[in-house]
Amino acid sequence: MNVLVVDDGTTLRGYDCRDVLNVEEIEAPIDMAENDRFLVHLGRAGCHREIRCREVVGFFPLSAREIRPVPPVLRERMTGEVPWAVGVTDRGLCLLF
Amino acid sequence: MTDEQQDFSPIEETREDLLREAEHLLQDAGRGKTLEEAGPPRSILVFSLGTEWYAVDLAHVKKVLLATPFARVPGAPPEVMGLMNSQGEVLCVLDLRKILGVHAGAKDGSTEKRFVVVMHHGGKDAGILVDGVDDAWEIPASEVLPPLESLEPSRARFFEGTVSRAGRFVGLLSATMCLNP
Repeated sequence: MNVLVVDDGTTLRGYDCRDVLNVEEIEAPIDMAENDRFLVHLGRAGCHREIRCREVVGFFPLSAREIRPVPPVLRERMTGEVPWAVGVTDRGLCLLF
Repeated sequence: MTDEQQDFSPIEETREDLLREAEHLLQDAGRGKTLEEAGPPRSILVFSLGTEWYAVDLAHVKKVLLATPFARVPGAPPEVMGLMNSQGEVLCVLDLRKILGVHAGAKDGSTEKRFVVVMHHGGKDAGILVDGVDDAWEIPASEVLPPLESLEPSRARFFEGTVSRAGRFVGLLSATMCLNP
């Protein structure tokens, strides 16, 4: 699968390219307090959402060999959005949502 | 009063009583048991967190790694330090300080000169970040005493017992409790 990898400042996140509608660059705020420079529009089956990020790392093809399950110890502890897997990329580990 | 009675002061009598009681307590805790009664010897890995010493049963230790920077996980609870790539295997690394509520010699989240003890229990693997790894000890099971009564119940549940050896007081951790939320 092809994954769009973004850096939100603390971690790498990956999204299935088929879910990416478009990527928009945000105007730098005057106070510069906001580090998010890009807005990724995602959509699938009528469900749309936006992800803010600091950097768009790029598109990566990930094969099954580069995808690992989320460790159960983490999955059990998560309360918010849980990644469905973890991708192993040249840039580091990437949480796949 | 005889000379013999005069030599035995009330303070010494109190001490004798205390020593006798302490001996009984130790025997109750298992020190006085024979090897057959206490069970086979145990191998434990001893490590440090700040100035405090802890250990886990070696049966639950897969390996010890030098810590490398972790991939942070947004939305994870504070005890989750992040994910680490260990030879292609993705490990969840837990902050033992947060789990145990240890503040002694607290370091920031840096991984420099620190270690990850990879534990395995109940089909689950996880790493715990520690400051230093000392040694593996083989101890008679009878040397494992119950956890200190002075421990807060919320903290005591993480301990299987305590071991006192070589001038160190080591808290023996329960792998089950450390790996389960």
